[in-house]
Amino acid sequence: MKKLFLVLFIILAFAGYALGQTGVKKKRSLPHEYGNVLINNYSDKAGLPAVEFNHWLHRGIYTCRLCHVDLAFGMKAGATNIKASDNKKGYYCGSCHNGKMTYKEKPIFDSCQMKYTQDDVQRCERCHSSGRTVKRDFDFYTFTQKFPKERFGNGINWEKAEEDGYIKLIDYLEGISIKRKSMKIQDDITLNSKVEGMPEIVFSHKKHTVWNGCEVCHPEIFVGVKKGSTKYSMVEIYDGRYCGACHIKVAFPLLDCQRCHIKPVQ
Amino acid sequence: MHTRIKTSVISGLLALVLLAIVAERASGFFELPAALPQEEFGNLLINRISDKNGVQPATFSHWIHRMKHTCRVCHFELEFDMQVNSTEITEAANKSGRYCGAGGCHDGKAAFGHVKPHCEKCHNGNRGAGKEKFAQLSKFPKRKFGNGIEWAQALEKGFITPANYLTIKPPADVAVIKPLLLEAEWQGIPAAIFSHKAHTEWLDCSNCHPDIFNIKKKTTKHFSMGRILKREFCGVCHLTVAFPMNDCKRCHPDRPNLQE
Repeated sequence: MKKLFLVLFIILAFAGYALGQTGVKKKRSLPHEYGNVLINNYSDKAGLPAVEFNHWLHRGIYTCRLCHVDLAFGMKAGATNIKASDNKKGYYCGSCHNGKMTYKEKPIFDSCQMKYTQDDVQRCERCHSSGRTVKRDFDFYTFTQKFPKERFGNGINWEKAEEDGYIKLIDYLEGISIKRKSMKIQDDITLNSKVEGMPEIVFSHKKHTVWNGCEVCHPEIFVGVKKGSTKYSMVEIYDGRYCGACHIKVAFPLLDCQRCHIKPVQ
Repeated sequence: MHTRIKTSVISGLLALVLLAIVAERASGFFELPAALPQEEFGNLLINRISDKNGVQPATFSHWIHRMKHTCRVCHFELEFDMQVNSTEITEAANKSGRYCGAGGCHDGKAAFGHVKPHCEKCHNGNRGAGKEKFAQLSKFPKRKFGNGIEWAQALEKGFITPANYLTIKPPADVAVIKPLLLEAEWQGIPAAIFSHKAHTEWLDCSNCHPDIFNIKKKTTKHFSMGRILKREFCGVCHLTVAFPMNDCKRCHPDRPNLQE
């Protein structure tokens, strides 16, 4: 009997929590929080705080393609199932975070060594930092101080920052990336919206290939053989699929409607 | 025997607790926030960190601001959340041109900046601050409840000409989505009419979509009067800032029709 009540209460409590998630406005992330990802596949079990990964720093140095194609990182936090032993072998984070590779002539700190001393713990905490106050080498506001600004997301106009040379993105890792001849960049495409009167979408291949090459999106997110071959809607995008794979949590957020819905209906 | 008594006492108590919860919810069903004087409706005291930092809470008046700017400017472009004390407004953020301190707002040019001697203009702990300016609204079209102002008409008839953007210009022709007829939950209550146009005059699409309302018709779950009165859905705005829900017929007209 008691057990039954307990179960009922737990169900009610969960239902209440789930119901409490609708109908209100979500809180916006602060510029330095936007794109931060919490990775906790094994950290808890290993007795370590979860890993806090910040996109803003990495995307200021590397292209999206480098990590999400060449280093095989998935597009959802936790989906890659990164293990400490993988990093140690030089996969995933360990491809760069190996104590040997350099950025601006400084070695990039080593990740996930199986043997470590008390002094090394500080190094662990550089990534395993959830809930701790950790002094980092790079501070968001100092790092992005000179970058062109805009509203939403990180508050940075990343595209312009790249165009104007504030950031020079590394797209090739010796021994990992494969040099290929670049392909001809496809033209911009106009996508009709499904709601009557809603401005049409202009999709720029050129803007996307700077960061993504072809492989981040094709063929997994968009089949992309022929215009119209992938059917999707705004509902699915809001759900984290298609454009939403990037433009909810990392690339400029979807609330900036007019950034895509740009072309007045003829 | 002993355990049986214990069990029945426990289940009795649980039943009472459940009943109490139900009764509390039922009594709160159509409870509207306490009516305020017209010049205080929509006023807030922002006190997320003021007390902790030894300054008076900041007063904010929606009616003063909505005469000059649409909701969109602050709640879309300037990223103010929709719940008081949830936006992380700080002195440093204001001074760096975010939130209140955005260019074209309290930047020291368009309006007083976040510097001495202006501190007490906001940090005064007085929810009724600025009420002497309410007389400026005396000629505006009237409507019962809230500020006593029919804001939509005030806008339409040019009593106010609020700026709709600072830097992100909205497209002129996006307010095209047809009005919706929303059937009431209870029989005998006329359907509610929702006009997209009346809302896009003030708001950006993303102010409501998809957080508050899903974009697919009839897929917004739990959209009920009970939830609205708990500050969800329409209640995010229409309890304490936009016209309050005492004005039932404004949404549930006697003869609902979709002609605008």
